[in-house]
Amino acid sequence: MLELIRHEIDRLRARGATYVDARWVPFEQTNALLMWNGNLKTNTAARESGIGIRVLHKGAWGFSASSDLNSLPALFDSAFDQAQTASERLIFPVRLADKEAIQATFESPCQVNPFEVPLSDKVTFLRQMDELLNQAGVLQRVADLTFIRKKILFFDSEGSQIEKLITEAFASLQVSGQDAQGVTQERKFSLGRNGAHTRGWESIDSHLFTQHADRIVTELNQVLVAGECPKEDRSVILLPGIMYLQTHETIGHPLELDRILGYELAYAGGSFVTLDDFGTLQYGSQKLTVRADATLPNTPGSFGYDDDGVPCQNTVLIEKGILVGAITGRQMVEEANARAGRKIFAGSGGCSRATSFYRVPIERMTNINVDPGDDGSLEDIVAQTEKGIILDGDRSWSIGSNREQFHFATEIGWLVEDGRVTDVVKNATYKSDTLPFWNSLSAVGDASTWEVAYVPNCGKGQPNQIMQLGHGIPVCRFDKVRIGE
Amino acid sequence: VKDKILETLTSLRTYSREKGYLASLLYHEEDSSLMRFANSAVSLNTREHLFRLSITAYADRKRATFDLVTRLDNLDEMKAGIDIAAEMVQHSQPLTYQPTVPLLGDTFVDDSSCDDTLAKLGGQDKLHFFNSMVHDLETSDLRLSGIFSSGANTVALTNTRSDHALYFQTSDAQITVVLAHANLKWEVIAEQSAQQVSDLDSQDLRRQLAFLVERYQDEPAQQLPLGRYSIVFGPAATAEMLSVLDWIGFDGGLMKRGYSFLTEDQVGQRVFSDRFTLIDDPSRPETFPFRVDLTGIPRQAYSIFQDGIFQGFVWQQDDADEFGKQPTGHTVPHKSLVLQGGHEEIASLDELAGLPRNEDILYIPFLHYMNIVNPSRGIITASSRFGALLLKKDGSLFVPYNVRLTQSLLDIFGDRVEWLSRETIAYNTSQSYGARNPTALIVPKFVKVNDLEISHSNPSY
Repeated sequence: MLELIRHEIDRLRARGATYVDARWVPFEQTNALLMWNGNLKTNTAARESGIGIRVLHKGAWGFSASSDLNSLPALFDSAFDQAQTASERLIFPVRLADKEAIQATFESPCQVNPFEVPLSDKVTFLRQMDELLNQAGVLQRVADLTFIRKKILFFDSEGSQIEKLITEAFASLQVSGQDAQGVTQERKFSLGRNGAHTRGWESIDSHLFTQHADRIVTELNQVLVAGECPKEDRSVILLPGIMYLQTHETIGHPLELDRILGYELAYAGGSFVTLDDFGTLQYGSQKLTVRADATLPNTPGSFGYDDDGVPCQNTVLIEKGILVGAITGRQMVEEANARAGRKIFAGSGGCSRATSFYRVPIERMTNINVDPGDDGSLEDIVAQTEKGIILDGDRSWSIGSNREQFHFATEIGWLVEDGRVTDVVKNATYKSDTLPFWNSLSAVGDASTWEVAYVPNCGKGQPNQIMQLGHGIPVCRFDKVRIGE
Repeated sequence: VKDKILETLTSLRTYSREKGYLASLLYHEEDSSLMRFANSAVSLNTREHLFRLSITAYADRKRATFDLVTRLDNLDEMKAGIDIAAEMVQHSQPLTYQPTVPLLGDTFVDDSSCDDTLAKLGGQDKLHFFNSMVHDLETSDLRLSGIFSSGANTVALTNTRSDHALYFQTSDAQITVVLAHANLKWEVIAEQSAQQVSDLDSQDLRRQLAFLVERYQDEPAQQLPLGRYSIVFGPAATAEMLSVLDWIGFDGGLMKRGYSFLTEDQVGQRVFSDRFTLIDDPSRPETFPFRVDLTGIPRQAYSIFQDGIFQGFVWQQDDADEFGKQPTGHTVPHKSLVLQGGHEEIASLDELAGLPRNEDILYIPFLHYMNIVNPSRGIITASSRFGALLLKKDGSLFVPYNVRLTQSLLDIFGDRVEWLSRETIAYNTSQSYGARNPTALIVPKFVKVNDLEISHSNPSY
């Protein structure tokens, strides 16, 4: 098979293709289980395999994919023909940033392959969690597990050959109940990276989940009897359960370079960021430093080599509030530098990924992390807050098409008055404009508050692609934010 | 190919029966192609031809599913998949209710919605369509983005209880064309849904774009004051809100789980405007319909809201099994929702803009990134995008920066509805996540709702 793929790559090069790559996925397995109120509603396993071919010809991309490997030459020719057609409407011929030809392997850390764990063990875990969640006040309880394991072999016409074996584990608990007004309230816990955990079955730690099961039930019951979130301006203190999403939506997505260059305009939207902004835009306060760190061990945002064959990197995006970098792949950095008339980007940031063999690689977040600060623990930040609200748990999120403004709803809020936590409130929301919001960042928690949250389902692109990634985030405080609307 | 698919399912059913399994077999085939435009170039030109088989095995109250991407001629792989599902179910946990494996009373084949010409459109056809549409509109400052997605979609199923099978095939296309200003960051959009090739009309798209481009080029954008507005929603906005209503409104399973703003007590009550009549009508080919649901229940026009009166929740089979309800023929990948038109004789944006008016009207064609703030109260939030206009009462119009609307669907579709246009249109809501599932709703081209609050107003794009 390897020889056949190499042969076809060489053949298309001989036909005149500038560049050819192939991603052969011999297997991608998924296993998803979901228990809802004691019923195992989802018990699904899946397996797929196939190959995706990308051809650059006359400055345009063509792509073709199939699960049928019996007709490889036709598949490669189809991708070539697609590129040929695409080249008939071309403004800015695609050029790829330089990279080394790499022969390498990568395996994500996994002690126990979840696909070798008996189904009965997974069901037992879910049943235990379901029993723990089945307490007074809880009307709906959900526990779920999702595992992914895939092998990807990447070949390109520049001489690269990379083999990756990626294992992912996602798990969450959720409870909901109804308050006196008949409004459903909910709390949830999702598995993130705690300490040096790996990403196999061993990361499904019953002790950890038991602790959080008790916590979310307790907090749900507090919300069910809480008063309404006030409608006013306050300092908001974001815990990791919402800070990850704030980072994701208003730093991660706006800094995808394909978005900045207008490649998502017909669908997901653009970005308020322009190429002129790099090196000058005061994105946030001086307390804000953000990086795209795909070298962070043991998260879905670290994958060894991207689907352009570029090694994972740790790239600073925002340094002390100033915008300095973006989420980049080989194509976009060349176009951005050319359009800007200056070298903004030294090379690919290694962020080009495809969700499956039948999708084309695009710029995706890796681990978009906010560096911990020096404002102490959560307790320290609360003690220094005169009138605030602590928020946690994503309930809804909606962002302007250029990521310029947003509205978030959270599962729970704790009011802070004169440095003390007072009341729990329900139906908490907050909204703002992106740049004023990040520039109002007034406190960044230290390493004790820093966690890595996993995102199993980031959607982007047409055809749409679901990607797994991570966010390392501390507790952060923002001032004068509108809440309760 | 149809015969081959049905033969394959028959072979797999026979295999399952011989092994003593109770199983259902769901086949999905998509032949998809997508041409994507960005910055006035073809940025992506793809083709994917994928075969999927989903096998669900049952044992008493236990259930397990194995999915595979395969090939139609790979019987051995598919049989192995059946064995895996049968093995999985042994280790599953019994449900608290008995899941139904339906007895299919008849073989049902419906490929009447498949137009081969549309399904097989090539890259050159798409390129020509786009080129003719934006000719003279596109400039160095005004750049083309968009997609032309098309393909054929086949769903077929059977199970070991039945000697029959169901087969559905449809063709579809979804076209989005955006003209975006390179520096000023505004964008205008036109969209089209097609079930057959004669539905394609590049010049209609061109007219829509030309009208908006002229306004956006001539009128500098302004920030709208916060406050309450009379709003006319375009088809994309209306279809998006109806899609949310489909989810947190009249779905029986979600209602039972606490994620609906409607209750069983409200059945038979008026909850929306008496101008609001919503039906699920599989006789409309533009909606890529399922005329029989996946359990074999024949589907006919099904009233959900009649003159604002809530007719009842819809129940798919599994929820009906769990909550002791009667399934309503809604075990389908998507419904065929039709919001009936009203009496307002407005068929185009041009006509809307020219309508005499005694108040300012905000036209919002498209709601971006809609999310549900509070399902129990039906509160949604979203931003305007793509060609909003403020139609001043003095007959002038100006271009507003985007605004945010956070409001309950009970208000949006309630007594604040002033009128719906007589003319309706199929709006394509297909998502390109996972397997192809062409979906469209039929909605009035324009819906006017009064007294809605704008809670956030952008000072720029």
